[in-house]
Amino acid sequence: MKRYDGASAELAAVDGRKRLNMDKVMTAVCFVLLLIIVVIPIVMIIYNAFFNEGRLELGTFVDQIKEEKNLSAMWNTLKIAIGATILGTIMGVFYAWLLGRSDIPAKGLMRALFNIPYMFPPFLGAMAWDMMFNGRSGYINKFLRTLFGLKTMPININSVWGIIFVEVSYYFPFVFMQVVSALERMDPTLEESARIAGAKQRQVIWKITLPLVKPAISAGALLILTTSLAHFGVPAILGYARGIYTLPTRIYAVIYNSGGSFDGIRQGAALSVMLVVVVSLALILQNRILSAGSYDIIKGKSMRPTLIKLRGAKVPLLILAILTLVLIVIVPLVMIVLISFLKAYGLPLSFENFTLDQYRTVFASNGTIDSIKNSLFASITAGVVCMFLGTLVAYVVQKIRPKGKGALEVISMLPYAIPGTVLSIGVILAWSGRIFGINLYNTIWIILVAYLARYLSFSMKTSSAALLQVHSSLEEAARVCGASHTESLADITLPLIRPAMVSGFFLIFLPAMREVTTSILLYGPYTRTLGVQIYSLRDAGMIPQAAALATVAIGIIIVLNTIVTKLTKDRKGV
Amino acid sequence: MANVKFDNITVSYGNHTVLKNFSLEVESGRIVCLVGPSGCGKTTLVRALLGLNKPETGVITVGDRCLFDAKKRVNVPAEKRNIGIVFQDYAVWPHMTVLENVCYPLKKQRRPKDEIQKRAMHALEQVHMTEYAKHLPNQLSGGQQQRVAIARALVVDSDVLVMDEPITNLDAKLREEMLLEIRMIQKRLNATILYITHDQQSALQLCDKMAIMQQDGTLCQYGTDEEIILHPANRFTFEFIGVSNFIPIEKGPAGAVLKCGGASPIPYDGEVPQEALGGGYELGVRPNDIVFDPSSPIQAHVTSRVFLGSEYNYFLNIGEKQVRVQQSMLDARTRGVAKEGETVGIRFLNTRFYPAKKGEQTV
Repeated sequence: MKRYDGASAELAAVDGRKRLNMDKVMTAVCFVLLLIIVVIPIVMIIYNAFFNEGRLELGTFVDQIKEEKNLSAMWNTLKIAIGATILGTIMGVFYAWLLGRSDIPAKGLMRALFNIPYMFPPFLGAMAWDMMFNGRSGYINKFLRTLFGLKTMPININSVWGIIFVEVSYYFPFVFMQVVSALERMDPTLEESARIAGAKQRQVIWKITLPLVKPAISAGALLILTTSLAHFGVPAILGYARGIYTLPTRIYAVIYNSGGSFDGIRQGAALSVMLVVVVSLALILQNRILSAGSYDIIKGKSMRPTLIKLRGAKVPLLILAILTLVLIVIVPLVMIVLISFLKAYGLPLSFENFTLDQYRTVFASNGTIDSIKNSLFASITAGVVCMFLGTLVAYVVQKIRPKGKGALEVISMLPYAIPGTVLSIGVILAWSGRIFGINLYNTIWIILVAYLARYLSFSMKTSSAALLQVHSSLEEAARVCGASHTESLADITLPLIRPAMVSGFFLIFLPAMREVTTSILLYGPYTRTLGVQIYSLRDAGMIPQAAALATVAIGIIIVLNTIVTKLTKDRKGV
Repeated sequence: MANVKFDNITVSYGNHTVLKNFSLEVESGRIVCLVGPSGCGKTTLVRALLGLNKPETGVITVGDRCLFDAKKRVNVPAEKRNIGIVFQDYAVWPHMTVLENVCYPLKKQRRPKDEIQKRAMHALEQVHMTEYAKHLPNQLSGGQQQRVAIARALVVDSDVLVMDEPITNLDAKLREEMLLEIRMIQKRLNATILYITHDQQSALQLCDKMAIMQQDGTLCQYGTDEEIILHPANRFTFEFIGVSNFIPIEKGPAGAVLKCGGASPIPYDGEVPQEALGGGYELGVRPNDIVFDPSSPIQAHVTSRVFLGSEYNYFLNIGEKQVRVQQSMLDARTRGVAKEGETVGIRFLNTRFYPAKKGEQTV
């Protein structure tokens, strides 16, 4: 007997007879909240890019497109994003295969370490690399110059390639994690039958394994591409001072230089439209090149894949993997910590120059303590609100299925494809007194609203996936057993998706805690976030102090991550 | 302890009408099996009874209580219908222990705590699951989960109990046991049970009456199992319940002949109603209604013989037409068995004549 797909929609239709019922209220709430949080800011950007005081005015937009700096910024954005995507994908797939399918030792440990770049804020990494290989004053640069008696600095990280390198080292886990889990869920008999049919190991990898994990590769590559296109931190730290702009840093520059005037924001809006166009083009391009097929042969249950013996290549590959880990995880971390103990930036890294003063200053400064509080407030609130709102949207889309559920889904996912910088401009335009006279500018609330829009799709995705696992018959069984609609939600559905909701919360809370892209445009004198505070300390030349705060931030992130892993491990049921 | 009455029920999904003007009355205190092929609307019908979908027309009553009436705009919500259900996919709540699952319906009835405990344990006893009371469903096998679902449906005294393929995941011995158990529970509670299945064997074993549903969602026949087996209302019932052989029949120069491909039509000396000779008809016969008889003009070639413990199963070729024959042990002792490769005479008992299905007239 087949069950009808619309089973829960049926139940909703049965309940729909009552004039005021919960399903209808939930649907209405979803639409209204999404309108406020997502639609209004986006509409405001488009409106302000093309209209001025109610009249169509393309002048600003055309001026911005013609401006040479902007064109080169667009070009740089593309170069960096495409470079980071290609290299990051290759690196991600290679290490995924190495850890997923070969007999390389210490897999568990290495896997955990390979995930670190994912939770490490890239702009802190950029700071560390800048300290080491800055084209003028990098510590290792200086060391190498004296060692080899060179006239110029050997490596210049403040270049397009430098930016690509740092982005790759933080974004390759997107591909790595997707592909590792796909490899683990792949039925090993698929490869074994190819071997039995006479294919060599190499052929099996190229003709069977890679094509099968192509959807996973494709999904990870897409994530690198969109994240890199929209990324602010790394190009801001490595390129900004050298005049290497990308679109997000250009938007920041335009607004920063105009001192927050409306004209500057309009220019920013015009640039935002450009950035959105670039992102959309990239998405289309990616879709063409790697049209993601879906294969059912990748099963949900885990299997024990046959491991490929590396034989003689084992030791060199192990050393390579360890070196990679040291280079991208440990070196930047050590560098930041070392610098944080320096009396002043530029002094040699020797013991007599070390002090704890930077930490004392950090903890004595009101601005810093405030920034930690602000970040905690904004990210916890955003996490909690998004957790509930995202679950609500997911429930409406998955189970109630009202008319216009497609629109609801698209609207809630929209900010995912829209760069954080762009979203900030939309939020500024929407909530600085132009609509209903509501002015949130310079308050923590505007940051919160931006976070909500930016992260809603995260929790919606996890809750959606969890709700799909909750078969409608579970709720129906409760109804038949005498539970009202509300009771069945509270007794059955919510407890079943609670783990997903909790992990949705942390998926938002953790990145929001170290966020800099969105808040850099929204902060006011008293509403700096942790990321903004580190960025501004560094910008003001107080590099050791920035490093000290960064160390504190990393500490907070590590502690929180440990808690998350502990919490998500003991899931019950489902 | 109530009869269930479906009157003129129509259910559609979008443009697809699953049930059209469907009527059926299930007598109080009976076990009625709804039997039909996949997608014939069995599940849709019981979902309408449970209040999980909304028919466009018709009336549903349980006892003297009206649960649904399209005209009078009556639609009792699912939670107030007092009908027990065992879902096909168990729908055992994975975050509750076995005991919590079974207690849930009683909790919703706001029963006192000790009564809940006592009745839940009793229900678990009935399905032999007491030792698993503290387990979580993901620690149980499919069959055990199914038994939890049955216990959960039994724990409250529902007017009607609906079971949607409740024992498909149990092994043969346990299935037998559960069928007996369901039977005994029904006797004790005197409940009305609506049992959905496509497995005719368990249907025959369990039910008082069978409702045969056809692919297009219409009721084909409603009657006791004997009536259904011995007097099928039409070709669909005859074919759907049990195994059947069909051989095209037509009027020959001297009486009826069977068309079995091959060289010449084979004369048939049994009784044939006049309309079946008009062409386009087939003779239907069950495998156990075919007996060996050397005097018969119908000669068949034995292609295979399998011994099944209580019977022999043969495949015979009449011309180019394959027929299946079941010979009971008793018959085998009295008439002897046929060997593979032999040619035997066969005779058809309890024959039926139906118009042939389109596209199957020639062999």
